[in-house]
Amino acid sequence: MKTTVVGSYPKPKWLLKMIKLYKEGKIDDKVMDEAYKDAVKAVVKDHEIAGVDIIWDGEMRREEMTSYFAERIDGFVIYGEVRVWGNAYYPKPSIVGELRYRDELAINDFLYLKSITDKKIKVPITGAYTIVDWSFNEYYKTKEDAVYALAEVLNREFRELVKVGANYIQIDEPAIPTHPEEIEIAKNAVEIMVKGVNAYIGMHMCYGNYRAIFPEILDFKVDQIDFEFANRNFEDLAILKEYSYDKDLGFGCIDVHSRRVESVEEVKKAIYMALEVVEPKQLYIDPDCGLKLLPRDIAFEKLKVMVKATNEVKEELGLSN
Amino acid sequence: MEVVTTVVGNYPRPEWFRDYLRKVEGLQKDLDVEVDREVLKKAIVEVLDEQKKAGIEILTDGQLIWHDFLLTLASRLDGFEMNGLVRYFDNNLYYRIPIVKGKIRRVKMLLYDLEIAFEMEKNVKAVLSCYTITKLSRNKFYKSYEDFLWDLCKAIKEEIKELESMGIKYIQIDEPSLLYAEKSELEVLKDIYNELTNVNVETILMTYFAPADRIFPDVLDFGFDVIGLDFVEGFEENLMIVKEYSFERINVGIVDGRNTKMEDLNELKDRFDRIISSGNFKKVYISPNTGLEFLPRIKAYEKMQLVTKLKEVVR
Repeated sequence: MKTTVVGSYPKPKWLLKMIKLYKEGKIDDKVMDEAYKDAVKAVVKDHEIAGVDIIWDGEMRREEMTSYFAERIDGFVIYGEVRVWGNAYYPKPSIVGELRYRDELAINDFLYLKSITDKKIKVPITGAYTIVDWSFNEYYKTKEDAVYALAEVLNREFRELVKVGANYIQIDEPAIPTHPEEIEIAKNAVEIMVKGVNAYIGMHMCYGNYRAIFPEILDFKVDQIDFEFANRNFEDLAILKEYSYDKDLGFGCIDVHSRRVESVEEVKKAIYMALEVVEPKQLYIDPDCGLKLLPRDIAFEKLKVMVKATNEVKEELGLSN
Repeated sequence: MEVVTTVVGNYPRPEWFRDYLRKVEGLQKDLDVEVDREVLKKAIVEVLDEQKKAGIEILTDGQLIWHDFLLTLASRLDGFEMNGLVRYFDNNLYYRIPIVKGKIRRVKMLLYDLEIAFEMEKNVKAVLSCYTITKLSRNKFYKSYEDFLWDLCKAIKEEIKELESMGIKYIQIDEPSLLYAEKSELEVLKDIYNELTNVNVETILMTYFAPADRIFPDVLDFGFDVIGLDFVEGFEENLMIVKEYSFERINVGIVDGRNTKMEDLNELKDRFDRIISSGNFKKVYISPNTGLEFLPRIKAYEKMQLVTKLKEVVR
């Protein structure tokens, strides 16, 4: 039984100010780089104080989970932003040429994080299916072709990550539950992404109808699937029970859409519910999704509650880890 | 044969207007606050000018303050409450689902943004919807679905009458959900649409995201002057419709409004010619297949230019 995070964490307010100044050309690359590193240190310290077992850097350098990667892969261009809903927009990339590996995506972030903490590290990267689903395809004949081409690019990144010491990679695929009819494509893409990758592989999915992706999702070549449960009052645990879920479970038990900090008792209750589905050694306890939309103090409190609840359950069950 | 360029409805917001809305409304809740009329007017002028510059003849106001696509109409009617986010067809776009909590009534003008546009530009069309709103919302008030549909129809009809008296010349009813309607529903829909289209302006039925084969031939008795078909998502099926059934006015949605890829003009012309030679049309509107809000603004503009270029080569 381990505690972990999905990936993002609120950016310190001062960092947001720095990013703004940087975009206005008022500070140089070197200063900005130092600011990012200092922000990562602050985030890591928050996680260490909270006592989270497996951490990431809070995604201080990532503004968004599609375009960040698209900007670093050949074949993508970004013409501008489009709406997701209401007043929320994102820079939607277009695929205009063959997708090819150009720059590292998370290697430098991983190496820096490794240099400043002794904690175990997970590296989250948005998966091929989701990036393509959230992009325009001008180049490939079919969406499927584009997904597989991108999966090859990500496979190279994953293998490079393992070479420099990463042993836990999380593929973020929130788009999968929104297209259950294309689950075969997503499954094949995962197989391409993890080919020859000697690491523990998790897959994170939030939002969408989980029932629609069962039982097919159980055949995905990943060690762990991470679902959001708190957002839907843990009702989806019933689906896992129904299908005799047997992978490791990333158990989202902290609501990231609410500013209310959960009580230790309610999180413990949730953990015991998860233990009806999987064994303690299969359980990875984390928030539903990235914490970045919450105020930082609330995100921090939520992490502390999550760890405290986990530790109490472990003690009650006489577990050492 | 008269050929007219037009767009379907929504258009990307100017960036400054987006920032303004984010400031006054925030990201999450409290949408639909009254925005400053002068600010909205400035944004609408910009979008109208952009359409004219690209060569579009029948314009829209761009639906710049619509947060929930067609469902925005529900948010302005009495009886609906807006709830959690739901995916809008197969788009990576979400709307707040309207819940019917009381009797549906029109208590104010729905298209106040159109009113602003019409002050400045007479060749704008109104965009409304009816059946689709009932299908994308959740009814927790009416005992029978038909009562719900009829009350909504009456509210929309009141709006149409007011638009007619204002002098609006074109009224478009967007009904993507109609393409998934059951055959058994088409009988009551015939009465609904005959009520809505019983006005002295040109009425347009706009369908998109799928082919329209399921609603033919019934739709020909709905009273619309123009039938709009999506020739991007349903080229072969809709081509068969044009071959099989006879109607005089059509909206050919032929430029892909959901992909940044720019179509080859010759290929477009070839497809357009196949459509037109399959029917016997007196009036043909050319447009993108969907609203242009799915695209970054720079591409939305290029798509409109493409519509205009197509008109030039088919003349």
